Amino acid sequence: MSMFSWLHYDFMKYAFLAILIITPLFGVMGTMIVNNKMAFFSDALGHSALTGIAVGVVFGVNDTNISMVVFAVVFALLLNKISSKVAASTDTVISVFSSFSIAIGLAILSKGGNFSKYSSILVGDILSITPLELWYLLVILLVTVLFWLIGFNKLLAVSLNRTLAKSRHISVAWMENLFAVLTALIVMLSIKWVGILIINALLILPAASSRNISENMREYHFFSILFSMFSGNLGLIISYYVNVATGPTIVILASIIYFITYWWGRRNHI
Amino acid sequence: MRKRKYLFVFCMLLAITLAGGIFTGAYIRLEDRREEGHKLHIVTSFYPVYIAALNVVGDNTDVELENLSEPQTGCMHDYQLTPKDMILLSGADLFLVNGGGIENFLTEVSEAYPSLNIYQAAQGLELLAEGDGHGHDEKQHNHSEENAHAWIDTRLYAKMVQNIAAALMEADPANQTVYQKNADHYCAKIQKLTDQFAELKETTAGQPAVIFHEAYAYLAKELGMQTVYCLNLDEERQVSARETADVLEEITEHQISIVFAEELYGKDLGNTVQEETDAEVCYLDTLVRGDYKADSYLNMAQKNIDLLKQAFKKK
Repeated sequence: MSMFSWLHYDFMKYAFLAILIITPLFGVMGTMIVNNKMAFFSDALGHSALTGIAVGVVFGVNDTNISMVVFAVVFALLLNKISSKVAASTDTVISVFSSFSIAIGLAILSKGGNFSKYSSILVGDILSITPLELWYLLVILLVTVLFWLIGFNKLLAVSLNRTLAKSRHISVAWMENLFAVLTALIVMLSIKWVGILIINALLILPAASSRNISENMREYHFFSILFSMFSGNLGLIISYYVNVATGPTIVILASIIYFITYWWGRRNHI
Repeated sequence: MRKRKYLFVFCMLLAITLAGGIFTGAYIRLEDRREEGHKLHIVTSFYPVYIAALNVVGDNTDVELENLSEPQTGCMHDYQLTPKDMILLSGADLFLVNGGGIENFLTEVSEAYPSLNIYQAAQGLELLAEGDGHGHDEKQHNHSEENAHAWIDTRLYAKMVQNIAAALMEADPANQTVYQKNADHYCAKIQKLTDQFAELKETTAGQPAVIFHEAYAYLAKELGMQTVYCLNLDEERQVSARETADVLEEITEHQISIVFAEELYGKDLGNTVQEETDAEVCYLDTLVRGDYKADSYLNMAQKNIDLLKQAFKKK
């Protein structure tokens, strides 16, 4: 097997392109998710994918991508709305929603003992990437970059202090909803090949590692994107040669980076 | 300070890349050692097909025979192709599959490799329809309507062996006589099993049976028994309380004396049946997983026959 033999296969080319598009996205979104302490929120979103597919199956939608995305967007908005109104702490509300949606998904998909048909979505299947999905991802990348250029300062203000943001005439609810919808779109479009069980790790780990060693926003973003792309590409190549699922390999690399940066950050008091 | 940090990040990433590279390199070298020069490369889909092909190939060194799944994978319903499988298939000259809808990834494969020669071992065989003979209207399985577990019936298995021999003879005409001889030799051994089944049939013919796996429909057919109820227990299938009640009711109603089940997936329900009813539960092998020894199909089938003899002697 030669060094670049993996580029001969179409599915590897698609996977490679997908990783080139999605890892910077994960890096950027991750920074804000970690800042806003939304790790649990994105995790719940990932779980809702199962329900999205189930809903698609029930209504006979051909492309379950569509039902997944629609459901996740509704789910994210609902979650935002309720967690800002209910007195109980946010993690409780999210937990309730997450468990409820995953239970619905499991109940519908396991009807007739057929769940094994969908088990690939738990660990991800890199063969499932199609050119169409690559276009979706590219559009999302452009939207996210645009959103970041226009709205980053407002988003940061909201994440620092809601009252402060309001006093500056920033529509807090709008910003939060936009961000949630964007997260939902990204999670849904990559979940089929990353897998429900680990997608959150990909969102959180690069940003968390970066936070360990960064001193300002610019560094925070730079390292997050760097770590995300690095573990994504290396993970894909290693998984190809060693014959293991791609998602977990990427997460293992990202975790190693987290541990090393944690140690460095502690030692240098950042 | 800042410079040091960038240097540190660079060193860290470099170290991880190197460590990953060395690890992967070692792994590849280990794999490569197993690969040799060009031979006729045959890939089989799963265990029964592999064993049949193994016997037909015999000790022919011009052929390299590989199996797509692991010996313990079991049935291929809902099997997921991995990148490695696709690579294995890309180098294959002939892909032997069971057919009848068990390998539901076949369209995917033929789309990816239009020139790959795919041969279905069960072609031309009389397959039972899915859900044949059981009083159960709900569809249980998601592959096509045929019940393709034909290899359990020794008569059909012998035909599959001959089919595989025919496919090999076409792919490698130089060794035609070898394949035919091997296949005939193996079929003679299978015939001994068939004879034993025929002997058993004298006591079993006409009796009703309940089966906990679709595959046993073939066994019941070979024994001349009537399948009154089929509960298809396999990978990751959970039984609901209502279904359990249905089964028990069916057993009492038809005064079933024997239930065929698989140890791995049917044990729990089997225990319940034994406690609640008078029926005897006979744990048989579906002959779908085992080791890669040429005789393992024969040995396991013999074990099934012994178990059946015991079960029917008791009564």
